[in-house]
Amino acid sequence: MSQMLSPDMTIAAEAAAKAKIEVKNLNFYYGQSKALKDITLSLPERSVTAFIGPSGCGKSTLLRVFNRIYELYPKQTAEGQVLLDGKNVLDRSQDLNLLRTKIGMVFQKPTPFPMSIYENIAFGVRLYEKISKSEMDGRVEQALKRAALWNEVKDKLNASGLSLSGGQQQRLCIARTVAVKPEVILLDEPASALDPLSTAKIEELIDELQADYTIVIVTHNMQQAARVSKQTAFMYLGELVEFDRTEKIFTSPREKRTQDYITGRFG
Amino acid sequence: MSAIQEAMPATRGSRDAIVRRFAMTDAIFHGMTRAAAILVLVLLGGVAISLFAGSWQALSTFGFSFLTSESWNPVTEKFGALAPIYGTIVTSAIAILIAVPLGIGIAIFLTELCPRPLRRPIGMAVELLAGIPSIIYGIWGLFVLAPFLQTTVQPFIISVFHGIPGLNSLFAGPPYGIGLLTSSLILAIMVLPFITSITKDVFDTVPPVLKESAYGIGCTTWEVTRRVVIPYTRIGIMGGVMLGLGRALGETMAVTFVIGNAHRISTSLFAPATTISATIANEFTEAVGDLYTSSLVALGLILFLITFLILAIARYMLMRIDARTGA
Amino acid sequence: MMTLCVIAAGIGLAWLALILGALLYKGSAGLSLDVFTQMTPPPGDAGGLLNAIYGSVVMTVIAVIVGTPIGVLAGTYMAEYGRFSKLTTVVRFINDILLSAPSIIIGLFVYELMVRPMGHFSALAGAVALAILVIPVVVRTTEDMLNLVPNALREAGTAIGAPRWVVIKSVAYRAALSGIVTGILLSIARISGETAPLLFTALNNQFWSSNLNAPMASLPVTIFQFALSPYEEWQQLAWTGALIITLTVLALSIVARSLTGRREDK
Repeated sequence: MSQMLSPDMTIAAEAAAKAKIEVKNLNFYYGQSKALKDITLSLPERSVTAFIGPSGCGKSTLLRVFNRIYELYPKQTAEGQVLLDGKNVLDRSQDLNLLRTKIGMVFQKPTPFPMSIYENIAFGVRLYEKISKSEMDGRVEQALKRAALWNEVKDKLNASGLSLSGGQQQRLCIARTVAVKPEVILLDEPASALDPLSTAKIEELIDELQADYTIVIVTHNMQQAARVSKQTAFMYLGELVEFDRTEKIFTSPREKRTQDYITGRFG
Repeated sequence: MSAIQEAMPATRGSRDAIVRRFAMTDAIFHGMTRAAAILVLVLLGGVAISLFAGSWQALSTFGFSFLTSESWNPVTEKFGALAPIYGTIVTSAIAILIAVPLGIGIAIFLTELCPRPLRRPIGMAVELLAGIPSIIYGIWGLFVLAPFLQTTVQPFIISVFHGIPGLNSLFAGPPYGIGLLTSSLILAIMVLPFITSITKDVFDTVPPVLKESAYGIGCTTWEVTRRVVIPYTRIGIMGGVMLGLGRALGETMAVTFVIGNAHRISTSLFAPATTISATIANEFTEAVGDLYTSSLVALGLILFLITFLILAIARYMLMRIDARTGA
Repeated sequence: MMTLCVIAAGIGLAWLALILGALLYKGSAGLSLDVFTQMTPPPGDAGGLLNAIYGSVVMTVIAVIVGTPIGVLAGTYMAEYGRFSKLTTVVRFINDILLSAPSIIIGLFVYELMVRPMGHFSALAGAVALAILVIPVVVRTTEDMLNLVPNALREAGTAIGAPRWVVIKSVAYRAALSGIVTGILLSIARISGETAPLLFTALNNQFWSSNLNAPMASLPVTIFQFALSPYEEWQQLAWTGALIITLTVLALSIVARSLTGRREDK
């Protein structure tokens, strides 16, 4: 599988990185019940951060706060601050569509739109940019190449996105997200519905993308977190238990709960 | 789809301009969908209000006696709704009595007994029949069923029950062919596909594991149906029956052909009669005088209130079934 | 006991087959090109159903053009913007009532709404009455079909920065398209045989008329009038008209069902 980052590289990257997203005293509620408890952490720019923890620990919830996708549903509320480049995205004045062009998201199950492969990618680009057909062709190609899908689909761009295999669909979704040039990419268990080979491809892709994007990945697969991320947050029952360099979390965690979890004693 | 083109910025504006335009379009679209949803409420409200307004003259002239008077005389302008109400209720009740056992029987047949390859085609045929316009049933009733009843069935029944008290007045001659019973039969065959398809649908909501475990302890098909399927789906079946009843009560064309349009209450099921909807359909365009028209609208109002009540109960029952399967 | 069920199924299906058989037998006897090219005849003459068929088509088309957008929009509100609102629960309940309300009541409503104020019967009033019957069918199927669109797809559309209305138009509608078309077809099937709401809105017309502001013939009302007449030619035309309507309705229902059938297979 993909290579582990060497510790000194990680430290170097961390030192150079400024915080892209800073979460301050974040609480989240589903109706009356509190799903996130006073979360504070900061995610460095152009780097992969993993959220791990047992199901129901709030890792996906936290991810869904970043682009405020939770607001599609009633009775879900967030309190506190989530700063993107120092600006609080939880502000009322924040335009949600604009926020989501800056913070892209890929979901657990592949979600190609019911349209052609080409349109799947052009769709998002067209929303905010008026570009010529040839420019658009270039953007689509670039995005598909970025997602390592170009060679597989270049001869059938007009085929339905639904005709692709599961792994290809997920890479199409990544291409679609990359095409609108976001600054942050959120990945919500992007490989959990895929076979091992497709999973490996996605992980490779994440590794390449971090040169340009700040990436946050939620995963229940600890090996995956260890393989792809530079820093890892361990969450449990809505709390952030421990947040540190990935290597540190997996070799010498501070907290006993973290240790219990990564050694498979629960969760 | 044109949506994508529309989503394109018309001019090379800044993102902020695009964002503002998106927000505005979204607000407009949101408003339009909401207005359309409210229009559905307004429609039903409008129906109620217009019926009340249209029937006001009749109701204020006759008062409560409109409901209790049997007379329907356009010449003296004395109108009472009792005969059509009676006809409506009797025909619908008989229709339901016939259609419900048949419908449940067919549904059991389709879900438990029918050979698998035949299930889909027969089930689909039943659903298609539910969509056949009622005028077709009416024309068949008029040209085929009524003459048949008149020449064979009715004379036979009249002669059989001739000397039996009670029954002899229920089946008193002469055999017209058209009348209460004929209408009931037509209504029964009309609502049969409805009741069948709803009953079949609620039968399908029974979790297979329930049935399997009953079969597992050695129950026969009949025992499974009676002790598992029917108790589990009772509310849903009731809802389907009420829905069928609502249809039968309001059905116009199938009945208008074969009811005979006679404003009187007769104990005999062979006698011509009338229903609310048949009266309106037959007389509305020919009604002269405001009071006559108003009385017909008042009949419509009564029908509206009765069916509203029945349908509300039916929907409530079906909603409970849905809620259970949804949970 | 189970034999009774078989018998019930036998009786029910045989009965329905009997009706369709009679319809096919009597209706096809009068089926000829004249039916589609000649006007409705005066009593005792031969003729066709051209003006009635034309009237039915015109009023159906107007009803669908008026009713479909309203129905789709209302269904959209219920499944999208208003999915969690109280209004949706109320509208769903009322719409279900409207869906099964006696159609003659709708006829009375439109009479009070349009015919009485305008002072005369008109094709337009007939079309409005039919549109009111179209709306609840389309509302119901649109809501149901949009509810079948996975939320994940909406989230994906939203996550890419598309505003809600673009997600609805370009993603949700596209995913639910065949289902919504099915609803529209079923609503056409429903109104193409409706007689009661036309009796005192569009009334009838012995002659060719394309004036929307005047009474207009329709197939169902013509069948009603001709079937109850004592003239043999008229009765024959009534049977033939009934057959035409039935075949139309069956064809529409089958196409509609095959559309959704294909969808479910996916």
